[in-house]
Amino acid sequence: MTILSLDFSLSYQAFNFKINQTLNLTGITGVFGHSGSGKSTLLRAIAGLEKNITGAIIFNDKTLTDTTKNLCQKPEQRNISLVFQDSRLFTHLTVRDNLKYAAKRCTNSQLNIADILKLTELEALADANVVELSSGQKQRVALARALLTEPKLLLLDEPLSALDQASKTKLLSLIVKVQQQLSLPILYVSHSLDELQQVCDNLLILSQGKAINYGNIHYTIHQLNFMSAHLPSERLIHQQTSLSLPIASTDNGQGLMVLTLAEQKILLPSLPGTFIKNQHLRCFILASDISICLSEPQNSTIVNHLSGNINAIESSTTDKATHSVLITVICSGQEFFVHISTFSQQKLALCINQQVYLQFKAGAVRTYLY
Amino acid sequence: MLLSTLYPLILISSLLCMSLSVASNHNIEQPLRIAVAANFTPVLKKLLIEFHQQTNINTQIISGATGALFLQIKHGAPFDIYIAADSIRPQRLEQQNLILTDSRKTYAIGQLALLSMNKKSRLSDLARPPKYFAIANPDIAPYGKAAKQTLQYLGLWQQYQHSLITGININQTFAQVRSQAVSSGLVANSQLVLNKLDGVVIPSSYHHPIQQQLVIIKNRDNIAQAKRLSQFLLSPKIQQTIVSFGYANNALLLQEKAPHKKVQQEKSNAKP
Amino acid sequence: MPSPDLLALAVTLKMAALTTVILLLIGTPLAWFLAKMTSRFKVIIEAIVALPLVLPPTVLGFYLLIAFSPQHLPGQIWQQATGQQLAFSFSAIVIGSVLYSLPFVVQPLQKAFEQLGDSVLEAGAMLGAGPIDRFFTIVLPLTKASFITAASLGFAHTVGEFGVILMIGGNIPGETRVLSIALFDHVEAFDYAKAHVLAISLLIGSMILLAGVYLLNLPHRKTRK
Repeated sequence: MTILSLDFSLSYQAFNFKINQTLNLTGITGVFGHSGSGKSTLLRAIAGLEKNITGAIIFNDKTLTDTTKNLCQKPEQRNISLVFQDSRLFTHLTVRDNLKYAAKRCTNSQLNIADILKLTELEALADANVVELSSGQKQRVALARALLTEPKLLLLDEPLSALDQASKTKLLSLIVKVQQQLSLPILYVSHSLDELQQVCDNLLILSQGKAINYGNIHYTIHQLNFMSAHLPSERLIHQQTSLSLPIASTDNGQGLMVLTLAEQKILLPSLPGTFIKNQHLRCFILASDISICLSEPQNSTIVNHLSGNINAIESSTTDKATHSVLITVICSGQEFFVHISTFSQQKLALCINQQVYLQFKAGAVRTYLY
Repeated sequence: MLLSTLYPLILISSLLCMSLSVASNHNIEQPLRIAVAANFTPVLKKLLIEFHQQTNINTQIISGATGALFLQIKHGAPFDIYIAADSIRPQRLEQQNLILTDSRKTYAIGQLALLSMNKKSRLSDLARPPKYFAIANPDIAPYGKAAKQTLQYLGLWQQYQHSLITGININQTFAQVRSQAVSSGLVANSQLVLNKLDGVVIPSSYHHPIQQQLVIIKNRDNIAQAKRLSQFLLSPKIQQTIVSFGYANNALLLQEKAPHKKVQQEKSNAKP
Repeated sequence: MPSPDLLALAVTLKMAALTTVILLLIGTPLAWFLAKMTSRFKVIIEAIVALPLVLPPTVLGFYLLIAFSPQHLPGQIWQQATGQQLAFSFSAIVIGSVLYSLPFVVQPLQKAFEQLGDSVLEAGAMLGAGPIDRFFTIVLPLTKASFITAASLGFAHTVGEFGVILMIGGNIPGETRVLSIALFDHVEAFDYAKAHVLAISLLIGSMILLAGVYLLNLPHRKTRK
């Protein structure tokens, strides 16, 4: 188990960052926040690139920084690698030489360049000049280069933000593949919850230089739903139900994939790519895409109907002008979030513990990767 | 770590090379180093041929402005003998106890000449100040000082105030007139002789004599050779040669020891 | 060219080459320091470095002459360390040239380092490269053109230097008489023919050197655009 303990603060003229949080780095840990929330600052501090921090950062048993002991390990000695938003490849070197640069300075050298080139699908570009690459290719080189340092922790700072959609999904699935093959703990910073929802196991949420939530990805996103309901003006996220469900069938014969939710089923359009039965699929349904019926719909084009009970009805306590509520419905033990108008809520006289049916189209079940 | 130690190493080794190259230069036997005023250099070069034939002494000429050479000697320049274009700097070195006792000698008396490139000059031309007139800086150059005294003697100094172009030394003044940048000026007669130009020699009674002196620098290795050169330059035969290069007769100096009375009077009427 | 002028040429080239090497060794860390410095004292150091650009060479030469002379401390320290007098030696003109040509090396390098910024260096650190390693493997290759420019300007400026060397060199053949001073001597001695030969060869040499610098910089400019 990899533990990263963060207890430090730092400040610039108009920005104060303060964190006291221990992260359990299994798989990919997401760091979510809007711009100016201190996401990059956090990564840079862990990497050792921020000079003016006060406090301590401890990675497993290794103290990276402890200002009380006047200790600050140099970034190049931390065995932590950071992939920047803007790649930062060395323009005087080819792709292969960029990778060699990292491999040469790596002390354990378990990986070889050919394997990493293959893993990151860069074999054809190995001898290309880095200035000729597309943004997506550059980020793949940057990732490959970071991997070749064989870090104990990989930090990704908005690695997809400069890419087009196709490159984004390609790199994202690559990141998942890399994490699984090398079992490397990754801290992934992004302002896009969709990206994080797709790949992260845990999520840390930053707001205005402070950590406001940390935990399992689905749980944390659901916490954000409540926060959004209370503070609609903040526009934190699109409220959603974040799911990870086993695949019952990749294609039911009519172009739909079937997911198992205990005794119930969720259908979604079949996805390209190879899946195996019972593999868990990460997906989400926007709260605004789900509607509520009091009786089970029989004659509807909408394919997904789930039966459940209302668990909570949240509305904004601060913003009286908001005419909507967030309803939590438990279906087969799973929380679902439904965003409806106050008008509809009153029309159906929805109340807690009431049994309801949720309905949503197959296309409302979204995945970011495929 | 290795590279960080390498860097100062390169620095030190290059400095070492530098001092070694200096050391190697000092190991060879030094020729007699003559610091000579720029306007006497061409004459000296001609004279040194005979000197070498007579004495077999190797010499090295360091030519420069009298003032700059003075400053350098003051700060330890490795010169054996200093052949100045004036008498002030040699006197100064003597006062500062930097020269061999009694080595200060007048080796030449400079003569001033009026030069104009576009017409045949006459002394009477001086009475009418031209638009521009070149002289050396009277405050720093001996020939400039003599030029000022000449104009004062003729009572023309005030009239010339707005026409004067002053060169930092007599060579610059000569270059200005010769290139016709300035139509006429007072230059050294030796410059006319060397460059085979015609001009009018200013009578030496118009100004204090321009005594050019030499001194032998103390505490040097080549003092004996320096003395030989001094004797050589002051020998009657060489003195005659120097005169033939446009300098006044040195014997004249002995007669005219008394300062010029007329200069101090500052007469107002010109009488060339 | 007669042999005294060839000797002056040899001294000039030796002086300029050594000066350039020393300038790169001193100027690189200085330029780096200035590029990374944020303190308000930066402007003061920058002004001191730029001083030779505006200071009359004779002023610098005059003060160096005083400093180097055996009567004063720097000259005495040198004499004790090396056993040689500093003033009027080859070392003196090299030191004088280093000071006089300093801005020509420091300024292009400082600008290059500033333009390079911290981002690629941070990338280097993330790949396990220490500061010296980063300098030689990232900074140096990426600012190569500026190093060539700095070295060439430093070299050319040193070759063309006159005032400082006139003061501290003493015009000693084979040791401190350089081309520019030999040229001056020829003019002073009305030997215009020799002066022309020297002047034209200096002119052509400098032209070739500078054209070479711009030629070397050419492909870099193209790829940047």
